[in-house]
Amino acid sequence: MAIECLVLGAGQEVGKSCVVVTINGKRIMFDCGMHMGYLDHRRYPDFSLISKSHDFTSSLSCIIITHFHLDHIGALPYFTQVCGYNGPIYMTYPTKALAPLMLEDYRKVMVDRRGEEEQFSSEHIVECMKKVTAVDLKQTIQVDEDLQIRAYYAGHVLGAAMFYAKVGDAAIVYTGDYNMTPDRHLGAAQIDRLQLDLVITESTYATTYRDSKYVREREFLKAVHKCVAGGGKVLIPTFALGRAQELCMLLDAYWERMNLKVPIYFSAGLTIQANMYYKVLINWTSQKVKDTYATHNAFDFKNVLSFDRSSINAPGPCVLFATPGMISGGFSLEVFKQWAPCEKNLVTLPGYCVAGTVGHKLMSAKIPTQIRLDEDVQINVRCQIHQLSFSPHTDAKGIMDLVKFLSPKHVILVHGEKPKMVTLKEKIQSELGIQCYLPANSETLCIPTTHHIKAGASDAFIRSCLSPNFKFLKTNSAELDDSHKRTMPLLQVYDDRVSEGILTCRRTRAQKL
Amino acid sequence: MEHRLLSVTDSALREDNNLSPKFAAAVLSLITNPFTSDSTLSSLLEALVLRLKNPKSNSDHQRVLSLLSALSHHHPRLRHRIAAAAHAFILLPSTLTPSLPHALSLLDPAHHFQPDPFSDESLFLSLCFWQCVKTRRWILRNLNKFRVRPSVLLTVLLGFTKDPYPCIREAALDGLVMLSNGIVVEDPSLVEGCYLRAVELLFDAEKSVRLLAVRAVSEWGHLLLVLNGDKTRREWSDALFVQLCLMVRDTDAEIRVAAFNALGKIQTVSEGILQQTLSKKALEATKEKKYPGQYTAKLFNIPATAAAFTFVHGLEDEFYQLEPSFDGKLGFDKKRTAALLVLAISAPVSLERSICSIPPRIYSYAVTLLGRLSTGLVHVMDQNTLLAYLSHCSKFTVASTSENFEGELLNFDLKDGFSHLWKKSDASSFAESMELKKVTTPVHDYLLNSHIKATSCVEIVFRKVVDLWPLIQLQCMNEVVRTLRSWKEELRHFSCDPRHPAGVLGFALRYLHVIKLLGKAWTCYFSQRNLQFTETGVLEALLHKMESRLKEMLYRHAGLSRGEQLHILELMLVAYTLRLSCGGTSYFEDYINKLKNVLCRVEYLQKEGLVELSHFVIELQNISCEIGHSKDGFIYKLDRLEKSLNLFFLKHIVLSGELEYLDAEVDVCAYEFQDPLPFIPGLPVGMPFDITLYNISSETRLWLTISLGEKSAQFVFLDLSEFGGSNQIRSFTFLSPFFGAPKAKHFSLKASIAMECLSEDQHFKHSMVSEFCCISEEILSKPVILCWLMA
Repeated sequence: MAIECLVLGAGQEVGKSCVVVTINGKRIMFDCGMHMGYLDHRRYPDFSLISKSHDFTSSLSCIIITHFHLDHIGALPYFTQVCGYNGPIYMTYPTKALAPLMLEDYRKVMVDRRGEEEQFSSEHIVECMKKVTAVDLKQTIQVDEDLQIRAYYAGHVLGAAMFYAKVGDAAIVYTGDYNMTPDRHLGAAQIDRLQLDLVITESTYATTYRDSKYVREREFLKAVHKCVAGGGKVLIPTFALGRAQELCMLLDAYWERMNLKVPIYFSAGLTIQANMYYKVLINWTSQKVKDTYATHNAFDFKNVLSFDRSSINAPGPCVLFATPGMISGGFSLEVFKQWAPCEKNLVTLPGYCVAGTVGHKLMSAKIPTQIRLDEDVQINVRCQIHQLSFSPHTDAKGIMDLVKFLSPKHVILVHGEKPKMVTLKEKIQSELGIQCYLPANSETLCIPTTHHIKAGASDAFIRSCLSPNFKFLKTNSAELDDSHKRTMPLLQVYDDRVSEGILTCRRTRAQKL
Repeated sequence: MEHRLLSVTDSALREDNNLSPKFAAAVLSLITNPFTSDSTLSSLLEALVLRLKNPKSNSDHQRVLSLLSALSHHHPRLRHRIAAAAHAFILLPSTLTPSLPHALSLLDPAHHFQPDPFSDESLFLSLCFWQCVKTRRWILRNLNKFRVRPSVLLTVLLGFTKDPYPCIREAALDGLVMLSNGIVVEDPSLVEGCYLRAVELLFDAEKSVRLLAVRAVSEWGHLLLVLNGDKTRREWSDALFVQLCLMVRDTDAEIRVAAFNALGKIQTVSEGILQQTLSKKALEATKEKKYPGQYTAKLFNIPATAAAFTFVHGLEDEFYQLEPSFDGKLGFDKKRTAALLVLAISAPVSLERSICSIPPRIYSYAVTLLGRLSTGLVHVMDQNTLLAYLSHCSKFTVASTSENFEGELLNFDLKDGFSHLWKKSDASSFAESMELKKVTTPVHDYLLNSHIKATSCVEIVFRKVVDLWPLIQLQCMNEVVRTLRSWKEELRHFSCDPRHPAGVLGFALRYLHVIKLLGKAWTCYFSQRNLQFTETGVLEALLHKMESRLKEMLYRHAGLSRGEQLHILELMLVAYTLRLSCGGTSYFEDYINKLKNVLCRVEYLQKEGLVELSHFVIELQNISCEIGHSKDGFIYKLDRLEKSLNLFFLKHIVLSGELEYLDAEVDVCAYEFQDPLPFIPGLPVGMPFDITLYNISSETRLWLTISLGEKSAQFVFLDLSEFGGSNQIRSFTFLSPFFGAPKAKHFSLKASIAMECLSEDQHFKHSMVSEFCCISEEILSKPVILCWLMA
């Protein structure tokens, strides 16, 4: 028996995460995301690869969504309402609460502002969310008779989870996006040491080694303070959920300490609404936030006001949080157009920007520069650019740490850039001795799994197996070669009861005869 | 009722049939009822014991035993009889193994039964190898009751580390931890085997097993270190460190805490690895290095790079407990590495402390180590830079100041503030001295109140002191000492607290003391020179005393005018010149530097405004100028140095205003000298100090110094902004840890309050060598001595 992995998205790229895994006959779709960089058919995973007959409900056991980012959930309403999938969908409580906000916001931006053809309607979103079963962390869900799933805390964003799935003897973990170090508002990923055949992990920062976060936070505050002290305006394009709260906590605390009076604005109702959810879902945040929650809710921002569109060009310094994060459109682009030409202003960029977005162009640009939006519109960029280097994704060390901790038999890398993934793959194979793969989109990968054969055993044999039955084995030191290259410790303990595989099987048969 | 119940149960107990739960409940109700009569209880006991002896009721024995244990629990006086019955039961050949643990738990292991079941190895082993998990778990949890050979115990425990049940593996590891404290193993390969076995369980699927494995690895690792020779010990120490570093990335917080605690216990670690704990990327020094141990469940060698970033991971952890676990790690013996670690930690911490909410404690520990660390950093940064960095960092005690962007900005503030202070005090002192003169000229006419009386009396005495100088030159010291003594007595009359005269009065008394010392030293010096008699010890002691008195006058009085300062500095110069001239001195260079430093200060005062320098000082300045900055130049000018002393004469010191004496008291809460405090060797001890400060402003940098013997001292920074009170008086309780508790039966600590002084070179950049290593200090309080006795 084997595990079959069909990569529909995020294979050797970032965007539209979607992996269909078949474990002992059960097919699970992990994530159902959309690609923010494309506007044509490439924005959705190629669902036709799952079933030629388009009978998705019978060909999939369930869908599991790890968190509410659009590149992990964006295609879900389309898949359920337009493609007709009608089976179970699982996600954590916060994801279920926040996903409709994200989807609706995206739909509005696409349809109402850009005037594009509607992919799914508001009703679709509502109907889609009705099919979702919300799960709690570490709660084991029996999807059907054979398939078990369990969610583990992943950090990254509020409600993000890694998912464990087990069918028979084969078990895998799909990490989704995760963070191995805690940040201001979320904790670090937390998972049990499980017996796993396969781990499918993200690898956004496959070769990055990040320094201590304090230094990075300080650099950010320094840049912002310098800008507002000089009378400039700071534009912080972010996702409405996640970095916005993280940076806001940072700035709010700083403002408080420094007694700064410069206003901090949140662009839209979305973020204000999101803050409310954060307050309610406090249990999913970091230990520190939880500890102080009784006296002060960390999401009660003292210095934050909501932004009035008319004051884009109002004089005086200010700090503005605006969506979307990569300046791919929407309000952040609108403000960027106005503020970019002024040298005093500052625009911060998130750590990662998808190719094709304004954010991505700015990352590689040398200021001053000109950015062409379309054939008619060109922006003169003279403002300062600060690249945020704190990201909710784990870095290379974190990925290695997690893989080492879980020690699965195989690792599949997704959600990353190919050259970097290759480097990480080499590292995993050479350092940890674990087979590692990086399939491209639409590729199917087969992985052999352990399989325990059921064998009959006599009562006498079972009884004999119950008692401890260990022996010691001491390797003769003469057998060791000089180079200290020991493969096994000198002293070894064996217990017949726990010796695995073939030996037990054979003895079982002998007993039967 | 009682009798009815008894008769029913009694007959049921004596039958061969199974004891029904109903009857068992009835027996239990009799046992637990406090009003049950003794006779009932003993007949119950009899019936139960009888049933225990009956091999036919084997299936009931568990139930009977639990009834007996209830009886034993509720009626301790029957315990002895119950134990005897249980013992007999154990010895019965018909007794089934599963009943044994229950019966054994009714026995008191301290009581030596004959034959003793707790010493019976075959019984022990048969219980160990019984198929029921419950039995195994019981025996492992009650290991300490059994008196079996350690070799048997070790074998069994090792075997059970491979048990399929996590609770058994956990109990086995617990047993190994216990065993590691109680046995002596001389075979390193056996210890190594146990160690590696524990290491293997670091990769267990169960949290609880991993947690105990961390402890077992730590304990057996230390055993292994003891058994190995110096060379391999280092290697194993590193191996242990790296192995534990691996557990720092466990996703369970409790295991991380345990791992950090275990890391803190490791005494020596090589430099490369420590540096690796600060860096995420593999460093050159550690890149290729591998140690025995386990990296994953399948890789039986651990690379040194496994230690990467451990330190910072701990600091960044969302669970607070990890940070106290860290402190232990600062005690490494490699100065340079420790210095780098401290700097690396303190850099982000000091800059971001209020943001990241790391307790300021950590930083203050870092600072306490910097004195000895500066030598370790000699090639990286010079002392001044380090000092500047420190004063910069330690300024960040209040959140609001911590956010100055540019370090330079703050430095400017400091300097500006300093010069500003000078100007201010100068201006005011001038005005005040004018006023005072008016008040004090015809002394006797102005006896307005006792304060003015005191001040005027001091003024008279100071004027008269000048008259003593000719007597000193004539070496009539008896005369001088007598006069000084009578003046002192006069002055003491004015003081409200004769033992602790404050303000001007205290200053005057100290001044008179200095004059006495000067006189003695001067006499000693010139008599020696004449007689060619080289008994320099006495002179040196006198001069040393004089120096420290003068320093006290300079540093511990707030409100000194420039004139007063100059006067004290000039006396210092005399002391140093005498010291240099008397020859044979072993600290020649030190005193040269001290002399230079004082000259710099004089120069500084001179630059600030009009001060009249004496011929003596001018001559010293000239000598110093001629020599330049070369260090050994003074040796060739010794003649001139000696001659310059002839230019010195005692001048009249003019008091310009009110002075305040900086003082501190330290005591230990509820501590009697006869009653030593308990401690555990090797563990930190905590002491609650009652501290009272007088006339100390919140800007003053105070340290609590705790010293053990002469050699080592621990400095703990006192952040005055954290405690209430005014500058005049400030009283608080401060809980301080002491980390260096020695491995001894008893020890005593000396604690006192020290004030950090602006060491000369801090403000006079051209003189490069500071008096003390990094911070020069003035002890403000009388020491308190604490005795400790091992717990």
